[in-house]
Amino acid sequence: MLLDIQVMRPDDYVGFTFFVGYMAMFAASVFFFFERGSVDDKWKLSLLISGLITGIAAVHYFYMRDYYMATGENPTFFRYVDWTLTVPLMCVEFYLLTRAAGATKSLLWKLIIASTWMLVCGYIGESFSDGTTAHSVTWGVLSTLGYIYILHAAWFGEVAQLAEKSNSDVVKRGVRTLAWFVLVGWAIYPIGYMCMDGGWLNTAMGWGSENVDLWYNIADAINKIGFGLVVYNIAVSESK
Amino acid sequence: MNRFTFIFIVCLYALFLVYQAFNTITLEQQLVGASFFILSFGIPHGAIDHVLFFKKRSMTKLKFYILYIGLIVLFVLLWWRFPLVSFLFFLILSAFHFGESQFVDAKFKLRNFNPLLFLFWGLALLATLMYYNINELASITAYFQDTKDFAVVYNKDLFFYFFAITNITTLTLILYFFIKNQMSKRRLSSELFLIALIHLTFFLFPFIIGFTLYFVVLHSIRVMNQEYLFFKSEDANFSMIDFLKLLLPYSMLSIFFTSILLALSHWGFLKISIPYLSIIIISVITLPHAIVMHIFYNK
Repeated sequence: MLLDIQVMRPDDYVGFTFFVGYMAMFAASVFFFFERGSVDDKWKLSLLISGLITGIAAVHYFYMRDYYMATGENPTFFRYVDWTLTVPLMCVEFYLLTRAAGATKSLLWKLIIASTWMLVCGYIGESFSDGTTAHSVTWGVLSTLGYIYILHAAWFGEVAQLAEKSNSDVVKRGVRTLAWFVLVGWAIYPIGYMCMDGGWLNTAMGWGSENVDLWYNIADAINKIGFGLVVYNIAVSESK
Repeated sequence: MNRFTFIFIVCLYALFLVYQAFNTITLEQQLVGASFFILSFGIPHGAIDHVLFFKKRSMTKLKFYILYIGLIVLFVLLWWRFPLVSFLFFLILSAFHFGESQFVDAKFKLRNFNPLLFLFWGLALLATLMYYNINELASITAYFQDTKDFAVVYNKDLFFYFFAITNITTLTLILYFFIKNQMSKRRLSSELFLIALIHLTFFLFPFIIGFTLYFVVLHSIRVMNQEYLFFKSEDANFSMIDFLKLLLPYSMLSIFFTSILLALSHWGFLKISIPYLSIIIISVITLPHAIVMHIFYNK
């Protein structure tokens, strides 16, 4: 096993974020699973979901880290498998938070469909590129539509309205914070997308395709762990 | 984040994708796009000044039109005699107007500080727009004979101080309003986010695109919404269609006269370049508009 250890350059920031990302996700999962015992029953499922999000990400980061170390290439396949599982789970968190205020299953499905749409379009745009800008733009536009729908739902749509209707200030604040994650945190991903070969930031600003994973890793750490910590904070505050 | 910021963000994503597709947008394309959006949204947002004025103040129509048109004529004369002074006055006036429309819904009670916040917010906006695009602005200015005089303004060091001072003062004032309980935490975070978003927009996009995006989405549409809500508060049956019907004739008239002036410049009857004439037209209609809106907001 030790013979397989790859050499890591000290200035390999992408590799660095893969290692940090893996350990941070793993540590966050352990934290969320252990802390399930300290919150009321109604919040246990939310913390389980938070733990699953970071847990699934930790496993994928383990593979992505090795893939990157061995090939030096973007582990796009593992990345999207991870996102396809974890991003809809983030939408489940919105549903669980607003369930007490009357969130329906249809809201849950709408959010899941929008997030899956966003990711599948992004995956096609990134992985099946024929090298033309038209391809990445077309799928970029389609993917953005899914994102805009979730953003609208979180800030002005059903999720925001249900949070306002809820009797808990903690839930209102929590949903608002999660909406900020969707607005600012999720906005980091398009930066990575536009660093791809032929992308605007790649050609106009000279940000090479090696930055794709750097941005994605930073965004993942902020969003997955941050998202979970907000849910944890709500659960603990509401359990007192 | 409010709905206008949401629309702004959607437009930003759309622009990102346009740039992803074309990598660049030529100056001509920018001007055509900007003209379309400014004529479609910018002109209508100030087209019903007289209607708003008479809702708030009583005055004979003749007196109002004399004052309104008189101000325009005075400002044209000022442009004729002192172009640089007029340009600076226009920037300060616009800055105050932009700031006032940004915070009108906040109902601050710090009377002495309100105008200061409005002014510095707007100045910071204009300084940021100019600072990030100073080279582009200087080359556009130097391109036409009659705008060359403004080139003296584009000093990079001077602009850096202007940019830094206005932004720091604005942030200090916003924090002061927050400490004095005039602004909620939610509003504070929303304002700081908007400032960051404006910086990002002006940094990433060319001058014309950045300004048009702000002017159309965050100013004109926002002001039109304020106007619509005002009419709605007066008459519950007042609909969006009624509002559009109200805007349409005056907007068409304004666009018609603006087009005539620009055409006269284009065919050489007016010895003023189109960009210079556009600045003059915008500034002279901004003066009475800003005054009417100030009355509208304060009554």
